[in-house]
Amino acid sequence: MTNCLSLNLGPQHPSTHGVLRLLLKLDGEKILSCEPDIGYLHRGMEKMAEKMSYIQYLPLVDRIDYLAGFFYSELFCRTVENALEIELPDKVRAIRVMLLELNRISSHLLWIGAFLMDLGAVSPFFYAFREREMILRYFEKLTGQRMMYNYFVFGGVRKDIEFLEDVEEILSILPEKLDDYEKIITDNPIFIMRTKGKGILEAKTALNYAITGVNLRASGVDYDYRHNDPLYKGFDFRAVVMDGKDSWTRYKARILEIKESMNIVHQALVYLKEGGKLEQKLINPLNLKLPEGDYFQEIDAPRGTACCYIKSTGEDKPYRLKWRTGSYYSVNLLKKLLKGEYLNDAIAIAGSLDIILPEADK
Amino acid sequence: MTLNPISSIKALFEGLMTVFKHLFRKPVTLEYPEKRRMLNDAFRGKPEVDGCIGCGVCKRVCPSGAIEFEKNENGKVISYTFDLKKCIFCGNCAYYCPVKAIKMTKDYELGVEKTENLILKYKGGADD
Repeated sequence: MTNCLSLNLGPQHPSTHGVLRLLLKLDGEKILSCEPDIGYLHRGMEKMAEKMSYIQYLPLVDRIDYLAGFFYSELFCRTVENALEIELPDKVRAIRVMLLELNRISSHLLWIGAFLMDLGAVSPFFYAFREREMILRYFEKLTGQRMMYNYFVFGGVRKDIEFLEDVEEILSILPEKLDDYEKIITDNPIFIMRTKGKGILEAKTALNYAITGVNLRASGVDYDYRHNDPLYKGFDFRAVVMDGKDSWTRYKARILEIKESMNIVHQALVYLKEGGKLEQKLINPLNLKLPEGDYFQEIDAPRGTACCYIKSTGEDKPYRLKWRTGSYYSVNLLKKLLKGEYLNDAIAIAGSLDIILPEADK
Repeated sequence: MTLNPISSIKALFEGLMTVFKHLFRKPVTLEYPEKRRMLNDAFRGKPEVDGCIGCGVCKRVCPSGAIEFEKNENGKVISYTFDLKKCIFCGNCAYYCPVKAIKMTKDYELGVEKTENLILKYKGGADD
């Protein structure tokens, strides 16, 4: 190993996702070992929680994953609601499910754009962002901001759902646009050559590395937390399970998952259009104290199962708060997945796992 | 990896046709300072206060400590400040204000020459 080369991929490399840094050992173009280095976006989200009351911490959890803020907001609200044994009314559940799934669509759309950009295709990036923009416009209309929504509160939502016609429009436009993406991407020979058979993730490896979400389901494991989730009770959907195990399958699984999410949004929309008064079980946040004990909840976020753990000593702030995020495990998987691959494929494989660094660094 | 050349060419052609369709569409970008995007009522910009009763709820729900109170000798609030350098525009203060005195305006252009101008000072709060 006299002529082995060490290479830093990132954290400011234009094609890495955010601030991912990979320390690669190369023999020619072949990767001998990969050491991911994270922490460039560490904001101390867990430590901050110990110094803040629950309501003060709530606006900050959107920032854990800025592409899917609703999921973390919902997860934190859910942990607190569960500790106080509050059951959400049906309408609040429908509102939350609809927004979560729209958020999942927008997150996957961004991934499609960014992934294709990694592979050198520029136009899908603009198309995906155009459709994502429609969803973000709707979120902005409803919640006031495009990414840091802060819309869910303990026991309900900030205000009643509005502008349902916008959601209808999104649902009517998206299928056609998805077909457009598939026309450009799915059968494109260049795309197939760069992704088919690359970054193969066996089901056993995925489970050993605690991979969840789409990446796991694209390896043929039928695990979708949404089926056990009380929030999704009454919604009819199937988990997208595919058996290809490579980057191409992970892409296809996300496209199919967008379609499945659209189906869930449609069901929620039909329920919400019936109207009905918004009943909420709001908690006064000023004297909110969780009873002493440990609380744990999970949710199926776009990048894998996310969990929130709160240890409370009966005070108005958590004694300890811990997040489990999907991207952290995906970054760790790169060690295994990139070994023996070529440098040209490194970013394509890393991109296919949908890594988002604020989530990994917390 | 071997691919069928005929289906590959067909796929490339189909993809290019989809891309070419967009050549004949209008641009969607706005020339920012001249043209502005429409903002809706829910937008969370610079906070403004009118009719505060000095209860202090906003200070307790603010995640970043942007709100400070000045009290007189009787413990009543005589003035308060919003530090826009610290504000994260989460809207907690406006949502939890019991008299809805705080409003999030549509003003998002917060560039100033001096940083002191980013600290908004309001008088009042104490009941007369």
